[in-house]
Amino acid sequence: MASSPVARVAGRIAVPVLGLFWLAVTTVPFLFMVMTSFKSQQESFSSSVWALPEALDLVNYRSVLEGPFLTYFKNSVMVVVISVVLIMLISAMAAFAFARMRFRFNDALFGLIVAGMIVPIHITLVPIYLMTRQMGLYDSQFALIGPYVATSLPISVFILTEFMRQIPKELEEAARLDGCGPFAIFFKVFLPLSGPGLSTIAIYNGIMLWNEFIFAYVLTSSTGTRTLPLAIWDYQGQYTANIPAILTVVTLTSLPLVVAYAFGQEKIVKGMMAGSLKG
Amino acid sequence: MTSITLSGVNKSFGANFPVIRDVDLTIEDGEFCVFLGPSGCGKSTLLRMVAGLETGYTGQIRIGDRVVDKVEPADRQVAMVFQNYALYPHMTVYDNMAFGLRQAKTAKDEIDRRVQEAARILQIEALLDRMPKALSGGQRQRVAIGRAIVRQPKVFLFDEPLSNLDAALRVHMRAEIATLHRNFPAASMIYVTHDQTEAMALADKIVLLHAGKDMLKHGSIAQVGKPLDLYHRPRNLFVAGFLGSPTMNFLEATFVAQEPVGARVVLKSGEELTVPVDGSTLAAGAPVTLGVRPEHLAPVVGPAPQTLTRKVSAVEHFGEYSFVYLEGGTSAPLIAKVPGDGGVKAGDSATYAAPADCCHLFDADGIALNHI
Repeated sequence: MASSPVARVAGRIAVPVLGLFWLAVTTVPFLFMVMTSFKSQQESFSSSVWALPEALDLVNYRSVLEGPFLTYFKNSVMVVVISVVLIMLISAMAAFAFARMRFRFNDALFGLIVAGMIVPIHITLVPIYLMTRQMGLYDSQFALIGPYVATSLPISVFILTEFMRQIPKELEEAARLDGCGPFAIFFKVFLPLSGPGLSTIAIYNGIMLWNEFIFAYVLTSSTGTRTLPLAIWDYQGQYTANIPAILTVVTLTSLPLVVAYAFGQEKIVKGMMAGSLKG
Repeated sequence: MTSITLSGVNKSFGANFPVIRDVDLTIEDGEFCVFLGPSGCGKSTLLRMVAGLETGYTGQIRIGDRVVDKVEPADRQVAMVFQNYALYPHMTVYDNMAFGLRQAKTAKDEIDRRVQEAARILQIEALLDRMPKALSGGQRQRVAIGRAIVRQPKVFLFDEPLSNLDAALRVHMRAEIATLHRNFPAASMIYVTHDQTEAMALADKIVLLHAGKDMLKHGSIAQVGKPLDLYHRPRNLFVAGFLGSPTMNFLEATFVAQEPVGARVVLKSGEELTVPVDGSTLAAGAPVTLGVRPEHLAPVVGPAPQTLTRKVSAVEHFGEYSFVYLEGGTSAPLIAKVPGDGGVKAGDSATYAAPADCCHLFDADGIALNHI
């Protein structure tokens, strides 16, 4: 049904206005965070909340970087990198099986795995905590990798399965005629062709795990094993009244994600759309 | 020996959805065989069964002396060219062509020699370092053919390889495939198409396949033979109607009597014609269908035997020839393909001769009566 001219004009105005409103909602706290990180504690109290810093004072950054921040950062990088690599490998193999292999209970198993997306991780905390202790992994970076991989697999398998379903069947058949078995078809044809899908899940899961707090809080306890989200929490305890220092930690923690999102947002959106429109 | 034999082959998708029925067929050593038929007739399925990409059928398929029903596709010594080329997008042209040989652990020097040789034959030497996305449709099709050539297969399988190309390129590539057949005389080729022009131009043998109810009633194969045999001696109404463009004219008629020169029939419009076929099995008054191709209807002036007189409803001019549409006596208009402008216009009454040798007669079941 064709919309009326009034509705069309209203739509043309409303969309950019709402867009600008949302931009303000998301940008203002970010700007506040960055600006405050350059202020001294005294300046942050005395000046207006929206006032620009009097000078680009890096004292907060120096102070944070001299603390245990880099240890947290290193732990986060290690846990996230290992988890994401495992997620990519496992979900790609599972997706290949679900997308391309005909076997009994294929649809039922796929449905079961995807249904994992609706399980709140909080109800798994106690069992995972107990299992982690029994396995002797408590308070180590490896304690986090298992839960991270497990909770990320449903969405990753879902996205990659839909992606691999769109790879033409003839490529698989051509590979079979060229002498490939299932493993060669997967590693030599499907995995290289799934680059965009793999990038999507790498960026998406990387962001989610970089920010993950609850598992890190429950499964680690010492400075040497904790990750960045707990670093923020730690600094909050240490500098209860030092808001610029806390926001400096937040700024430094956000920086890798901002960079990653700036370069990968197209893939993220595309991958999520591919997963939501088909199937 | 690379003959291909299909014996009692049947295939269904699910219990109640047969797609291939009662196929008994032999493709001789070095023969170019075309599977032709309407959409849904199972021609691609049959090809894929020979390739080993479709399993779960009954009957037997042999390539040469070997039964291949349980043999993996890569071990059947077949190479296939797909409709959408199926080139690996992440590999260069060279790597696409070399991929199968690398999988077979062929020596590097030998791979290089074969790829370069195939590239020379197909004139794609300059493209070897390019990615498939940087190629035109025709170039991609050549690479796909090159990928098949390097494997030195005993059987080439083509699944509608030209259908994604534009008309001019299709004609060009058709000639190249014919050349390929001449260059590899020992290899048998099976080519799937729904385009009768391609089939007539390329085939040593055409296998015309039924679809739907005809397949269930008569089996998948409607007729097998040389292209001109199918064109001039169709076995039934389906074959007669499928080959030829415009399609053969069909006129309802009644069998009158068998005479020494042929069967005498009377059309619903009253004209009597003689068709040189054996109608001795028919009873007088039996319903029959007369078939005559548009290009066999010749304009005549004045009274003559074996003619049809109709009112012209429309004329389409194509320069070299014209289609004259005639109304009356049939549900679809009768079409005459005549040289030049046809010499008539809409509204005229025109008379066309239907030479006895060019007429076909089909019984009530649609089966052609044998010519005498």
